[in-house]
Amino acid sequence: MTSPAEVAVERRGGSVVARLSGEVDMTNASYLREQLLDSMPNDALVLVIDISACRYLDSAAIEVLFDLSRRLARRRQELRLVMPPDSPLRRVIELTEVGSAAPVHDSLDSALSQ
Amino acid sequence: MLGRRANRHREEPAVLASRQATVAELALRALEGMPLGELRDAAATAVACELGVEQVAVLELTHDRRGLLARAGVGLPDGVLGGVLPVEGERTDPSSLQKDLGSASSCQVSIDTRGRLSGWIEAHSRAARDFTADDEAFLRAVASVLGAAAERARQDDVMSDSEARFRELADTTPALMWMTDAEGDITFVNEGWRRFTGGTSDVGVTFATSAHPDDREEALRIWEEASARREEFRCEYRLRHAGSGDYRWVLEVGVPRFAGGEFVGYVGTATDIHERRAMEEALRESEASFRDLADTAPAMMWTTDGDGLVTFVNEGWLRFTGTTLEEELGASWQLGVHPEDADATLSTWDRAREERRSWEREYRLLHHSGEYRWIVDRGVPRYEGGRYAGYVGTAIDIHERKTMEARLLEVYQREHKIAETLQRSLLPERLPQIEGVELAARYLPGARGAAIGGDWYDVLERPDGRVALVVGDVVGHGLRAAATMGQLRNAFRAYGLVESSPSEVVARINRLVMSGVEDVMATVLYLVLDRETGELSFSAAGHPPPLVLAPDGPRFLEGGRSVPIGASDPAVFREASAVLPPGSSLLLYTDGLVERRDEPLDKRLDKLASVAGGAEGDLDGLCERVIDAVLGDGDPGDDVALLAVRPLPAVADRISLTLPAEPASLASLRRRLARFLHATGASDLEQYEITLTISEAAGNAIEHAYGPGDATYDVEVSFTRGELVATVRDHGTWRERRGEHRGRGLNIIEKLMDDVRVTPGEEGTEVTMRRRLAAVEAA
Repeated sequence: MTSPAEVAVERRGGSVVARLSGEVDMTNASYLREQLLDSMPNDALVLVIDISACRYLDSAAIEVLFDLSRRLARRRQELRLVMPPDSPLRRVIELTEVGSAAPVHDSLDSALSQ
Repeated sequence: MLGRRANRHREEPAVLASRQATVAELALRALEGMPLGELRDAAATAVACELGVEQVAVLELTHDRRGLLARAGVGLPDGVLGGVLPVEGERTDPSSLQKDLGSASSCQVSIDTRGRLSGWIEAHSRAARDFTADDEAFLRAVASVLGAAAERARQDDVMSDSEARFRELADTTPALMWMTDAEGDITFVNEGWRRFTGGTSDVGVTFATSAHPDDREEALRIWEEASARREEFRCEYRLRHAGSGDYRWVLEVGVPRFAGGEFVGYVGTATDIHERRAMEEALRESEASFRDLADTAPAMMWTTDGDGLVTFVNEGWLRFTGTTLEEELGASWQLGVHPEDADATLSTWDRAREERRSWEREYRLLHHSGEYRWIVDRGVPRYEGGRYAGYVGTAIDIHERKTMEARLLEVYQREHKIAETLQRSLLPERLPQIEGVELAARYLPGARGAAIGGDWYDVLERPDGRVALVVGDVVGHGLRAAATMGQLRNAFRAYGLVESSPSEVVARINRLVMSGVEDVMATVLYLVLDRETGELSFSAAGHPPPLVLAPDGPRFLEGGRSVPIGASDPAVFREASAVLPPGSSLLLYTDGLVERRDEPLDKRLDKLASVAGGAEGDLDGLCERVIDAVLGDGDPGDDVALLAVRPLPAVADRISLTLPAEPASLASLRRRLARFLHATGASDLEQYEITLTISEAAGNAIEHAYGPGDATYDVEVSFTRGELVATVRDHGTWRERRGEHRGRGLNIIEKLMDDVRVTPGEEGTEVTMRRRLAAVEAA
C-alpha cells in the first residue's frame, strides 16, 4: 500500500497552484514529482505548491522539492511553497533549508502576489 | 535465514481478498456448469498463481481406490498428467509426486465427494517454504469447490435437471402440472393441464378462467399464505374440464422450487379426485350403488368392516396391484406397502380407526409391474343406519408427482452446497488485527432451507488512522445475493479507503449500484470510528441503529438514517455523529437478529439492549450472549451478521513492533506511532517530528535489508520520565550515506533528536534516538 496523498491543480493567471494533501513519503514521492511536472505547462511562470493541508512529509518528499526547483529553473520557471507559520512541518522545512531552493510563503495570496 | 520468519506473518488483506475472489470465481463457474475437466484446469492454474508455486496437481482416486489419476496440473513433467500413481493403503503423506517433481515443500489437502475421500489437490514449491494456515485454507476452499462440482457432475450423469428437461418429463406424464415464477405468475402448464382445461398457450390466465368461481378465493388464499412462507401447500377445488364442460374436483399440491438456493417459484400438480368425491357422496346413499359406481371408476377404491379388514376393492385397485379380489380381502393389502413406509402407514391407520377419524397417507404400494409406486390413500368412516360400519377409501397414483418432487429436492440440495461454499469463501474467515481495538464478529446462516443469505461484516483501517466498520444485508437469498454481497464488500473496502465521510461512501456505492444492470438492494450500516477520541460518524442506509454499550448502560445511536442502497437515484444519504464514552463497546448487527414475524421491532430492540447489557467482558462472550439470548432456542429464520468493537485504552509507556522491510510498512508504522505518541501527551509538532525521525531511521533499515522477500526490521519506543527513547534495528549491514536524500534523512534525525547513536553489529544495525518532550515536562 502506498501512502495516500492527493494533489489538486489549478491555473491562476501565469501561475499553477498545486494543493497537496495527505502524506508524502518514499512510496509516493517520485510519483508525485511526475504528476507535478506534468501539470506545469510551458507558458506558466510559477508553480506554487501549497502544503498547508499536508499531514506528513519525509526526506524523500523534501528531496522532490529540491529536484523540482532545479528542473523548473532549467525551464526558466520558478517554484514557491505555501505553508502557514504554525505548521508542524515548519521546522523540518527550515532545517533542511528548502527555502534556499524555493521561497516559503505564509499564505497563497502572498505567494501569488509577488 | 530471513525466510524463516515467513509464516509468523498473516497474509496481507489484499492477498486474502484476491484469493476469496478466486474461489468465488471457481464456485460460480462450477455452478454455471463448467465441465469438470475445465474446472480442474482452472483450479490448478489459480492455485499456482495465488500461492506462487511452480507445480500443482489435481489427483483423483481411481475407481478401485488403489491408484491416483493425475487429472489436471500445472508444471507437471511429461508422463505424469493422465498417468496413474500407485496408492499404498489410505495414504496421508504428501504424494509420491514430491520425489518425482523434486519439490522442496508441498501442501496437500483432500477432495471429498459425497463425504468420501475422492482425491487430493497439491501445491509443490521448488524452493523450501513454509505454507501458512492461510495457504492451506485457500487450498481447502478450492478443494471443496472441486468436490461439490464432482458431485454435481456425477448426478448429472443420472439425471438432467434443466427446466427444459422438466418440461419434457412433465409433458409425458398424464398428471396435470404447472410451474410459477417467484412472483407467483404461471410460467408453464403441461400438456395434461392444457388437455384438461382446453386452455391455450396463454398460461397466465389459466387458473383464473378454469377454477370454479366459488372455490377460487379459498384456493388463492391457501396458495398465497404458503407462498409467503415458501412452504408446500395442498388444496382441493373444482376445475373446469374442457371435454365435458363440467367442473371436476382436483387435489392440487404445490412445492416450492429453488435454483442456486434461491426461491424461484412453485411447481405443482393437480390430481383428478372427482370420483373419490363422487364415491364418498354415493356411499351416503347406499353401499350397492357405491359398488356399481366404484367398478366403473378409474380410481382405486376399497371398503373395510368395523375392524379395518378389507371387504371390497374395486377394479381400479386390482388393475394396479395385479391381484384378485380374494387375495386383497382381509389385511393382506398391508403386505404390499413398501417396508420403509409400512410402520408409519399402519400406525396412523390404526390410530385413525380407534378415533373414527378420516385418514390420509402417502405411501408406496407394490405395483403389478414389480415396482413400488407412490399413492395417496384416503379413508373416511362410514355408517349404516347410524351405526359405525367400517371405512371407505380411495387411492390415487401420484408416482409422477412424487418423483418430480424428489428430483427437485436433489437439485436444490446440490445447488445449496455450492452456494454455501461460495458464501463461506466471501466472508472474512477472521477479522484483521487492528492496533488499539478489540474486535469480534459472528455470522449465522439462516436455518430456513433456502436461506443462503447476503449478510456480511467487514473492518478496515483507514489511512487517517480511523477504523471503518460495516455490516450489510443484501435483499434476497441464494447465490445471487451471496455474489452481490462479495461485490458490495469490495466496493466498501475501496471507497472506505478514499472517502472519509460515511454518507459520501454510501452515496458513492449507491451510484455504483444504480449504474449496474442488475437489480440490487441492500441495507447497510457504515461507521467510522476514531479509536483515540471515541468520535464516530455513521450512515444507516435502511439499516437498524448501532448499539452503544457504555459503562452507564446501553443506548441506540439515532439519526443518520436514509433509504437502502439501490432504492433510488439520486438519493439523500445522511450521517450522524456521536462520541463513544471511554470503556464503551459498539455493536453492529443485521436485521436477522431483531426482526421476527411474531414480535414488533421495537420490542426486539429493547430485548437486544437489555441482554447486551453493560460494557464489561470480552467481546467474543458478548457476541455469544447476544445470539443465545436474542435468538433463543429457535434458529434464525434469516441469516445474521454481528460485529462488536471496543477501542482499547492506549498504553503510553512502550511499543514494540516487527515490520516487513518494505516501504509500504512506513504508513502502518506512522499509524501505530501516532496512537502511542498521542497517549504520551506530545504536542502536534513533537508528534510529527518524532514520527518523522523514526520513519527516516526505518527507511534506512528498509534499504539495508537485502536478500529475498521476507526481511523485517524492529521498532521499539518507550517513554519514561518525560524522555522518549526509540530504537530501530535492522538485520542487514550498515551502509554509508547514499545519495543526497538519505543524507538529508540522517541530517533530519540528528537535528530533531537530542541524542542519536548508531551501533553496527554482526546481526544488523541498531539506531537509538532520544528526545525529551517539552510539553510533557512543562505539565
